[in-house]
Amino acid sequence: MNDDKFTFVKLDEMASEKIIAPQYSYWKSVFRKFFSSKVTIVMLVVAVIVVVFSMIQPLFSHYSPSNTPNINDFTLRFNSPSWKLPFGTDPVGNSLFDRVWAGTRNSLLIAFIATTITTVLGVAVGAFWGYSKKIDRFMIEIYNIIANVPFQLLIIIIMYVIGKGFWQLIFALSVTSWLGTAFFIRVQVMIIRDREHNLASRCLGTPTSRMITRNILPYLISVIVTLISRDIPSFISYEVFLSYLGIGLTQETPSLGRTIAEFNNFMTGYPYLFWLPVVVLAIVTVSLYVVGQSLADASDPRTHN
Amino acid sequence: MEKNVILSARDIVVQFRVRTRVLTAIRNVSLELYEGETLAIVGESGSGKSVLTKTFTGMLEENGKVASGKIIFENRDLLEIKNNREWESIRGAKIATVFQDPMTSLNPIRTIGSQITEVIIKHQKKNKNEAREIAIELMNRVGISDAAKRFDEYPFQYSGGMRQRIVIAIALACRPKILICDEPTTALDVTIQAQIIALIKDLQIEFGFTTVYITHDLGVVASVADKVAVMYGGQIVEYGTVEEIFYNSKHPYTWSLLSSLPQLGIKGEHLYSIPGTPPSLYNKVVGDAFAQRNPYAMKIDFEEEPPFFQVSETHFAKTWLLDPRAPKTEMPEEIRDLHDKISKKVAIGGEYHVK
Amino acid sequence: MSNNVLLSIRDLQVTFDVAKKKKFVAVDNISFDIYEGETFALVGESGSGKTTIGRAVVRINETSKGDIFYKGQRINGKLSREDDVKIIQQIQMIFQDPASSLNERATVDYIISEGLINFKNYANEEDRKHKVERALDEVGLLPEHMTRYPHEFSGGQRQRIGIARALIMEPRLVVADEPISALDVSIRAQVLNLLKKLQEEKGLTYLFIAHDLSVVRFISDRIAVIHKGTIVELAGTEELFKNPLHPYTRSLLSAVPMPDPIYERTKKLIVYTGKEHDYSIDKPSWVEISKGHFVWGNEPEIKKYSKEVL
Repeated sequence: MNDDKFTFVKLDEMASEKIIAPQYSYWKSVFRKFFSSKVTIVMLVVAVIVVVFSMIQPLFSHYSPSNTPNINDFTLRFNSPSWKLPFGTDPVGNSLFDRVWAGTRNSLLIAFIATTITTVLGVAVGAFWGYSKKIDRFMIEIYNIIANVPFQLLIIIIMYVIGKGFWQLIFALSVTSWLGTAFFIRVQVMIIRDREHNLASRCLGTPTSRMITRNILPYLISVIVTLISRDIPSFISYEVFLSYLGIGLTQETPSLGRTIAEFNNFMTGYPYLFWLPVVVLAIVTVSLYVVGQSLADASDPRTHN
Repeated sequence: MEKNVILSARDIVVQFRVRTRVLTAIRNVSLELYEGETLAIVGESGSGKSVLTKTFTGMLEENGKVASGKIIFENRDLLEIKNNREWESIRGAKIATVFQDPMTSLNPIRTIGSQITEVIIKHQKKNKNEAREIAIELMNRVGISDAAKRFDEYPFQYSGGMRQRIVIAIALACRPKILICDEPTTALDVTIQAQIIALIKDLQIEFGFTTVYITHDLGVVASVADKVAVMYGGQIVEYGTVEEIFYNSKHPYTWSLLSSLPQLGIKGEHLYSIPGTPPSLYNKVVGDAFAQRNPYAMKIDFEEEPPFFQVSETHFAKTWLLDPRAPKTEMPEEIRDLHDKISKKVAIGGEYHVK
Repeated sequence: MSNNVLLSIRDLQVTFDVAKKKKFVAVDNISFDIYEGETFALVGESGSGKTTIGRAVVRINETSKGDIFYKGQRINGKLSREDDVKIIQQIQMIFQDPASSLNERATVDYIISEGLINFKNYANEEDRKHKVERALDEVGLLPEHMTRYPHEFSGGQRQRIGIARALIMEPRLVVADEPISALDVSIRAQVLNLLKKLQEEKGLTYLFIAHDLSVVRFISDRIAVIHKGTIVELAGTEELFKNPLHPYTRSLLSAVPMPDPIYERTKKLIVYTGKEHDYSIDKPSWVEISKGHFVWGNEPEIKKYSKEVL
């Protein structure tokens, strides 16, 4: 080692300000986290297959409860599942397969539409409700009255009043759910409303509308996805439950709920009639729920690497 | 007066598994703790000061491990302890820790009294009544008035400073040999801080334990320490008595720390600040870890790690500047005659101190 | 430091609603002036009310009694839209915690431009970008940082982003609420130097809120000491350190640990309990003992202090 190494070296001050890591992108990180779990990927595939299939299959099968070409052919009734008829036949000789998928399609459509309305309305109202103290004083009174009425009771009453049907059901589900979503969002907004970065924005004169879109809502993505992932399976269940009671969809509309209700009696005699629709319902609900939860998790930047 | 060595740590290397990478948080540290003394460990965040003391109590996080080294305490190597149960006879009983945040150190749903007696019952095998008496006495000793009544209260009924006193009481309940204080006053107001520091000093004299004080505040160091270890980038870069470190330091990092003291700032001029940020310990460090931010860096600092050079019997510094081949370098002007400079400031300040 | 009063506070009181019908008085009887171009420090411990006053000046907190005058105009209470717009731009704030004072979901570009966008203070997109680049440069950051997110930066860098965000508005008065307390010790000097440099370059006035007396002594021209919602003493910096009168000020000064082992060994700690005062008969008030040196005390105390002032 020679003495020449003991000479002074000049400092480069700006070198340490550079950031070497690659550019961070929120959505890229969300999807990276989402696809990091094998279970999620499997569930996603299942969910996609089920949803797509249920949307397309009925277009080809032209299934309708009132369309019973085989009703007089007794040999075609109560057939167990076979290669030609994957789910067997029902008491009127129709393919259970067609019936189940047509019913699933309706359940999914109702759930998706009702969820969309509930979420959009709930988030929009909830954001302003949580942000503005004046609106809060007013809304909280309304909420306290309405929230005390049991959800199921309310929905049954509404359905009795407006009658059975596809759009009636969607209306009833949305009307009874949006306030709950709004309240949940209100609480979340109140939690983050007074954080320092929001105070800073107010200090800079940022108007309320932009406070909500740039400062509050981006932090609620994970929460909103959680709500959606909870609502969709929940609305599917409600359709099934209400149709089971006979007040959901009309007789002409294929319904998973009514299918399960009708075939309840055949549990011992022709078990496949009951269990196959139930299994399909379970697969649909669980896969959508898992995908929703994973997406909610992935949307929370605290889980990003 | 020769003091006994109560704990001897040799060549400690600590690594953390962070996803797929390895972070070497402690890179070969050796240290000795002397009976009845206070050692202050100073450094920026990321220097490894907390990690080092966690190895003494087996409290490294899940993903951390001591890759090599020995910690000799009471004639055994603590690093040979493999299970948690064995650590429990050391932790809290022989080596206790006081952490920074008194809010999270105490269990919010148990009474203050029960948290102290729990430790006494566990380690000293006393029954409930005896433990309660000992606890109340301890509470008095750490300055809680009305201790008997406050024994049954909950943490939320105590202020931050009082909670920290209780944390200290719990730590001292079993008369440990070593008390580790990890930034115990950083979260407290300055007046409470002064009282807590005075309390720990008093208790140390009375109970005779060795204190390790981790802090970034040089004022606190000057107030509590007998010896000081300056840490940077996972290593001790300078070690000495508190006078040696403040008045006769040799390592450029210590110089930088002292230079940036606001007490040395001259109104109207800029305060000295260390440029840049500490190195990432994910990568292997070549040469001196401080080289990139060192105004006195030499070529060799970027190539080879400096050894410890001895300055006095108690004073060591890990810098190539002390090598006989290096150009003679004096400590910066700003920190020379530190005592005079600070005395002048204090002398201006009235009669609230005793000269 | 000029002789123009930029900010004037008189008998200010701020309360918070704790429960129905119950109010908590955070600060009361606050009166002081800030002169143009000076650094005025407000020092106190946690719960003293210093942040409350800072936020009242920036009008985040509402006041219950008293007045805040900016350039002679009353700014607490309702303001016309026009005045509101003007005052927002003239008085800005730097926040304490770099970990929570930046919008994590926005790029640095948006964070710094937010104020500009609110008031359309730029000619076109290119002008705006140019202003942001200049603001970044002034605080020692690089233009390439514009597209990054806050969590990609260190604490010191984030605090500098917060400073750029406030200063791009070209304010006259900046309320700095403990701007360095949450930073690592070795970074503090960097940010302090930056604040001083910007003050010199732009002729800014600072209301510097802090709890660290050593830092405050270095950076400020005058200091007000606040304890449990009341300002107990106010004086020029060196005057305060030379002649602290109020017992709380003295206990605060004696509690600060000095980085000098020899001194610390012989130091005597003064503890303030609050019981030093008897305000049952003689009520305290805000009195100017000597030029520029104010103390909060009742008649007997003021008499005593007047004798002690050299």
